[in-house]
Amino acid sequence: MESRVLKPILAVYTALFILFLYGPFFVLAILSFQKGPEGGPQFPILEWSTYWYRHIFGLVPPSRIAPLPLGEAMFRSLTLAFMTMVTSTVLGVMSAQAFRRKFKGSGFVFYLIVLGMMVPGVLTGLGVSLLANNVLGIERHWWSTAFVTHVVYTFPFAFLVMLAILNRFDPSVEEASWSLGVSPARTFRKVTFPLIFPGVLSAMLFAFTLSYDEFSRTLFASGRDQTLPLAIYGTFSVEIHPNVFAFGVLTTVFSFALLAVYALLMSLSVRRARKMAVQEDIA
Amino acid sequence: MTDHQPIFRLEGVTKSYGQVKALRDVTLRVAGNEYISLLGPSGSGKSTLLRVIAGFEAPDSGQVFFEGRDITHVPAHERGIGFVFQNFALFPHLTVFDNVAFGLRNGKAPEPADLDKRVRDIIALVGLSGMEGRGVHQISGGQKQRVALARTLVMAPRLVLLDEPLGALDANLRHRMRNELRAIREKLGVTFLHVTGSETEALAMGDRVVVLDHGRIAQFGKPDEVYGRPASPNVAHFLNRYNIFSGALEGSTFTGPFGAIGVSGGTPSDKPAYAIRYDRMTVEPAGAPVAGPAIPATFVASEYLGSSVIYFFEAADGQVIEVEHHLSLGAPQSYEPKAQYLLRWRPEDAIVFGPGVN
Amino acid sequence: MSDTALPAASVSSGNSKSAWLIVPGMIWMLLFLVAPILLILYVSFWTQTTFKIEPTLTLQSWKAFFGSDTYLASLWTTIRIWLLVLAATFIVGYPTALFVGLFVKNKTLSTVLLVICVIPFWTSFLIRVLAWRPMLGKEGAINIILQKFGITSQPIEALLFTELSVVIGMTQIYVVFMVGPIAFMLGRIDPNIIEAARDLGAGFGRIFWKIIFPLSLPGVIVGAIFVSVMVLGEFATAAALSGRKVNLLGNIIVTQVGSLKWAMASVAGVILTIVMGLVIAGFLRIVDLKREL
Repeated sequence: MESRVLKPILAVYTALFILFLYGPFFVLAILSFQKGPEGGPQFPILEWSTYWYRHIFGLVPPSRIAPLPLGEAMFRSLTLAFMTMVTSTVLGVMSAQAFRRKFKGSGFVFYLIVLGMMVPGVLTGLGVSLLANNVLGIERHWWSTAFVTHVVYTFPFAFLVMLAILNRFDPSVEEASWSLGVSPARTFRKVTFPLIFPGVLSAMLFAFTLSYDEFSRTLFASGRDQTLPLAIYGTFSVEIHPNVFAFGVLTTVFSFALLAVYALLMSLSVRRARKMAVQEDIA
Repeated sequence: MTDHQPIFRLEGVTKSYGQVKALRDVTLRVAGNEYISLLGPSGSGKSTLLRVIAGFEAPDSGQVFFEGRDITHVPAHERGIGFVFQNFALFPHLTVFDNVAFGLRNGKAPEPADLDKRVRDIIALVGLSGMEGRGVHQISGGQKQRVALARTLVMAPRLVLLDEPLGALDANLRHRMRNELRAIREKLGVTFLHVTGSETEALAMGDRVVVLDHGRIAQFGKPDEVYGRPASPNVAHFLNRYNIFSGALEGSTFTGPFGAIGVSGGTPSDKPAYAIRYDRMTVEPAGAPVAGPAIPATFVASEYLGSSVIYFFEAADGQVIEVEHHLSLGAPQSYEPKAQYLLRWRPEDAIVFGPGVN
Repeated sequence: MSDTALPAASVSSGNSKSAWLIVPGMIWMLLFLVAPILLILYVSFWTQTTFKIEPTLTLQSWKAFFGSDTYLASLWTTIRIWLLVLAATFIVGYPTALFVGLFVKNKTLSTVLLVICVIPFWTSFLIRVLAWRPMLGKEGAINIILQKFGITSQPIEALLFTELSVVIGMTQIYVVFMVGPIAFMLGRIDPNIIEAARDLGAGFGRIFWKIIFPLSLPGVIVGAIFVSVMVLGEFATAAALSGRKVNLLGNIIVTQVGSLKWAMASVAGVILTIVMGLVIAGFLRIVDLKREL
């Protein structure tokens, strides 16, 4: 039938689609190995080299191409991502915990939180800048104004992850703990938290990477000192060199490394559960 | 049972979920050192009642007393009442030992010096010695229920609430656990309040049985009382051992599908009904001369239960009538499907319900 | 209603009052999301002088916006780019969603395919934008390939630093938000329905238009809302891939803030919010999501 024809066509299309998604990045990765400092950000590759990677770390003799201003920006981005991760995960766990019991206006609060991930960064960034600059009269910094807008953006993700986890959570284990004379606070520490920890890990991962890569909110709200994405953006307007490509490869590798660590932690807990299940079969 | 000071007492407890009234004005007193079964069909409010006593739910009105103290507003963790869940609710991240030791370690009281011995003793009591180090995923359903029980009992509560504790077990295990639960309770002298939807379980296990019907206590008595003299047509229905005929009661005459029968006395009830236990009916050939009440019915099928046989008949109005024949009284009979028979009973075996009788 | 379902429905937190836990998160959102957005509306009526802004209410900036060809043009560009990208993500994404959601019967494989689509989202947004430069440039990968296969003799210069490059870049970045929801809805279609229609002799085209597409429509709407919100709030892709030729409302806001023209930035912000609100409301009118999902 037609679907017998259609399926391979769609399969080929999907392969092309994936090429469309990944193609630019592969081209960028290839060009990051361009010869330096003469080679430009285009084909052909004059000669394969790791010059631009060494350029990033300042390991090549000075040339007319200035090194990317990355060191401090990197430190700021990591610190900011860490602060954001902790804050939004705590807020996310607390809010999702509150949502386990229906309360008045819970629908409104739900939309209020989710709004944070829907409103474009231009608007939150502009709004918070107005608040700081024209109402409070304070300077904008990456650790103050940019930080609060990052949390506005990542907290909804953490909240939704925790909500999904707590929805599947069996409340009777908590009740069992109470009935054994253990206070709700200690029950949360000793029972609830260990059981929802995989979810907390996911929420942390989301918050960290989203904040680490966040750009549009930061552009408005971070003031003078740049974060990593801002430093990259700064290179857009001027002539670009393959060093930006090399950095793109490195930062992507870093994002994937985070993902790998997360996957490792998750699979460890899954394997522990499976090991128990296997022993159950033996027993 | 002995007339102890009541260990717990409910006074006019009412609880609704939105429009649904789960408990209506429940008043109940239970003496110490007793096995109480709480029987009710699903939706009767029996789990809610248990959760109100445990403190997981607050009643809309009424009071809960435990050991003479009003605990209506005391949070669950300060009540000292044990709770065993149908799904066991074990802590999945802890071993058997740590599950049992959990309350002793994390409760308000400081960790006892003899924790190790107490935990091992109670694990031995429920027959799980040697499994202390296992994860709770590594043990069977019956073993899980024992851990749940040990975890509760190690706290030495004076009252343990069991919410359909055997519901998740298979039939064989359920039977064995019945005896064990009774034995453990007697050994420790605690009061068990055991919620179940199974009438056989309720009757077999309880020193006394509470029957809950639409959020109200319909009957509270010893198993033989409840079984022999159900307090309402609904209780008779839950017991699953009564053929219940509806009809009209006028003076001392009950008019049902079997015609008009003279009755003497009966049990007060809103709606008139006439109930005969399955094993109090006898099957006669159609047209046999019988003195006393009888109803013609068509034989449908039979079910062999081991010690007895149940015969299913259908009356003219379509009602299914069950007749139980105990094999100790003779060999099973075989009846002709779709053939007419006459089912008779002695009038004094019938229970008559109706307004204004006594 | 079952006996055990009753307590479960009224989520049991025992006697502990947990509602206060929502307070910190709510305060955060009210202070740093709702208040700033209301502030944008307020500041759009402030009086702007060259380097100063005062809270004296005036329509000056609003009049300036609607009296300026540049600003109005940016509004039309925003709407044009939004429509183009929306159409492109739908056209490019739907067949993939169809394959992943409906044709791949193996659940693991369809999950893997979806994950493959989502992974790029994990990398830096700016790097993904940047990656289009060596693709689309005059000496870029696409031109090299086109010439190598003899499809074109001259490099196509229109690929980079045009509206086209912005649309291509945004499509690649946002198409996954279209694919995901559609594939999800397609995955929920009961195969028996399609089988039954086939037994009745319906061809694939008929089945698609009568059954598959209507059932996937809520996914299309959700995807469209995602894509719309993100594209309307864009500025970085336009800045990086158009060589400043394409100015969206977002770009106006960035440049106005850069030159401390807060009132004008706020006007653009309010207009952007209104456009977005209208677009979302419009989509929600097409399909009642609460009922469909």
